[in-house]
Amino acid sequence: MRLLKDIWDVFVIEVQRVLHDKGVILIFFIATLLYPLIFGAIYRNELVRHLPVAVVDESRSEASHRFIHKLDATPEMRVDYHCCNMAEAKHLMQQRRIHGIVLFPHDYDYRLAHGETARVCLFCDMSSFLYYRSVLSGTSAVLLDEMQQVEVERYGLAGITGEGADELVQPIPFDDVKLYSPAGGFTSFLVPALLVLVVHQTLFLGIGILFGTAREDRRTLRVIPPHLRLEGRTRVVVGRALAYLALYLPVVAVDLVLMPRGFGLPHIGRIGDLCVFLLPFMLATVFFCMTVCSFVRERDTGIITCIFFSVVLLFLSGAIWPSCNMPSFWRLFSYLFPSTHGIQGFIRINTMGATLAEVKFEYLMLWLQTALYFATSCLCLRAAKRFKIGVA
Amino acid sequence: MGKGVFVSALRREIKRLLWQGRARYLLLTTLGIVFCYIFFLTLMAEGQPQRLPIAIVDRDGSYLSRRLCHEINAMQGVRVVAVYNSHTAARLAMQRQEIYAFLEIPKGTYNDVLSFTRPHLALYSNNAYLLSGALSYRSLATISKLASGAVQREVLRKKGYDEKQIMGLIQPIELDSHLISNPTANYQPYVLTTMLPGMLGLSVLLLTVYMVGRERKAGTLREWLGEDALPALLGKLAPYTLWFTTMGILGNVVLFGWCRFELHGSFLLVALLTLLLVTAMQATGVFLSGIIPDAHLSTCFAAIYGTLAFTMSGFSYPVDNMPGALQALAQLFPLRHYYMAVSRISLFGCGMGLCWVQVCALLLFLITGLVGCRLLCTYGEE
Repeated sequence: MRLLKDIWDVFVIEVQRVLHDKGVILIFFIATLLYPLIFGAIYRNELVRHLPVAVVDESRSEASHRFIHKLDATPEMRVDYHCCNMAEAKHLMQQRRIHGIVLFPHDYDYRLAHGETARVCLFCDMSSFLYYRSVLSGTSAVLLDEMQQVEVERYGLAGITGEGADELVQPIPFDDVKLYSPAGGFTSFLVPALLVLVVHQTLFLGIGILFGTAREDRRTLRVIPPHLRLEGRTRVVVGRALAYLALYLPVVAVDLVLMPRGFGLPHIGRIGDLCVFLLPFMLATVFFCMTVCSFVRERDTGIITCIFFSVVLLFLSGAIWPSCNMPSFWRLFSYLFPSTHGIQGFIRINTMGATLAEVKFEYLMLWLQTALYFATSCLCLRAAKRFKIGVA
Repeated sequence: MGKGVFVSALRREIKRLLWQGRARYLLLTTLGIVFCYIFFLTLMAEGQPQRLPIAIVDRDGSYLSRRLCHEINAMQGVRVVAVYNSHTAARLAMQRQEIYAFLEIPKGTYNDVLSFTRPHLALYSNNAYLLSGALSYRSLATISKLASGAVQREVLRKKGYDEKQIMGLIQPIELDSHLISNPTANYQPYVLTTMLPGMLGLSVLLLTVYMVGRERKAGTLREWLGEDALPALLGKLAPYTLWFTTMGILGNVVLFGWCRFELHGSFLLVALLTLLLVTAMQATGVFLSGIIPDAHLSTCFAAIYGTLAFTMSGFSYPVDNMPGALQALAQLFPLRHYYMAVSRISLFGCGMGLCWVQVCALLLFLITGLVGCRLLCTYGEE
């Protein structure tokens, strides 16, 4: 009974501390909602459509005109300029009015008519991955279509017609199935990772501010019930963790369950699996933050450290740069952070419809982290009590 | 008068840095930035992910399917880590993140090829991971097209065509793609030339807000700003401007010199933009601390604003693809202008003539600093 009472006391004190700090409320309840909404709005259009490009048609033939019309008809790009020469197109590119140039050499038509291989030159703007991807995929699609048309014509000239020609044009056709995000949109790829990161980082920020403030004001031990000031660190840690969890439950529900549905992101996973997975994620995150934040000496330094690490954590998670291609040192380093496993597991369950069995590794790692960081946060608290300093 | 105030503020700040232990924050920030450079440059050392794990679902088990498997393995972009005999097994492996794509070869493919009845291959790629999914898809699609080409060539040879005619029939048009200034589609120049200066800018912003906040908390705002606020402000910020600009320029030397990312334009211009980015971030920092009188809240706001800069700069997701209101909002982030100017200079070799708009925009941010300074004087202490 005493145990529960102590935990309850710490819990109440901690909830009050959170609710009395404007900064923490801003981070816990406003930033957590604002960030996903902003990201949702920014990435709303998912794909880069109708990218302006220029064509330089030195061949001025029927074949090149047909190609240009088809380019204009692709969803990826829009032929905005017909330039006389490359210099003109290059100037447009420098002004960033266009993001690609398609050049038809003067012998384009001649080569087509003579049964040789004609050439189309493509110049891509490499200032963003998405420009390059759109321009390349749009042009490739038109090229494939044109090629098939020319091939059929040429086989016809060679005396192979009808079904025989069709079979020869593509003897082994392939169907491509883009799994989990059929359009290959940017939103469906990045936002799930960002959602998890927002939960992880705001929790870190909030706890960092709480711990930092207490330490800064030198009222560290005053925020612990009097009889727990010398012993019972486990109770303090558990009570606080429960307080953060309770406050964060609605936030997590909104961010990780409602937001994907609200934004129309892929969400084929089962909610049950997701909840079971998120439990150790939240626990590990809370204890991780409590451990690291014990070293935060001031309120604002916590914020600075946390913000600084956001981008690093996103890249460490393997959502952008594949984890199998990271140097092994960084891969092992990434295992230290709950966000890595949280992001991986969330994407796989939510976006890819995996069950717990498929995220076993991440799930176990998160429990392992929970245990590890629970122990370390108790140790940090003990050290603080012994030296009567610091750690809130 | 102004000069004297500037010098005394500068002296005060340097004294604090050297003898009062304030250098700790500068040192930590510097270490953080150095860490970021090392981290990102080593993390993506491959440039473009190579040898991504993929699998084959071989339900044919024929000479052809095994040959396809070997040829896929010989490609640079992918490696075959498993051969499954059912679709479900491959799908589960994909959900376990062991593979990024798989090629399904149906039963009887080889027979169909021989009897000319068009077997269908199926290619599954994981689009939940954009980069790795797209790259492994591209490799597999290339192999599938090559397989078609090989069959075509065999048939046409048997019909008595010569090699030149065959090439014309198999590939009537070829695409000659030029990836301007990044021929290998290296992922690093895309990301790092903007993100690393962005990290620098973010730390400048946070440090500025933090420093002003400290003065406010310690109640020394009046003492510092005195009668002549602007020179005092400049005096305090000058050492940091110098330090972070030097770091930014060194960082750019690492990127464009040591790592050999393409730089067609002048390095001086890039250095000027780095200086402007640093000062713009400082001005924004002063503005934020001026407009939000609570030191804690201003740091929180700076944090939120600072992290959004990466998204709003548009190096990952183009700004012209965002909703209209957000496009306008993106102009409020100095990193956006830095990215626009530096990508032009480095990729297309533009000079001042084509990026003066960005330079002016960055200069405009300095005005926010003046406003912030004014606000600090008026509503100074807590």
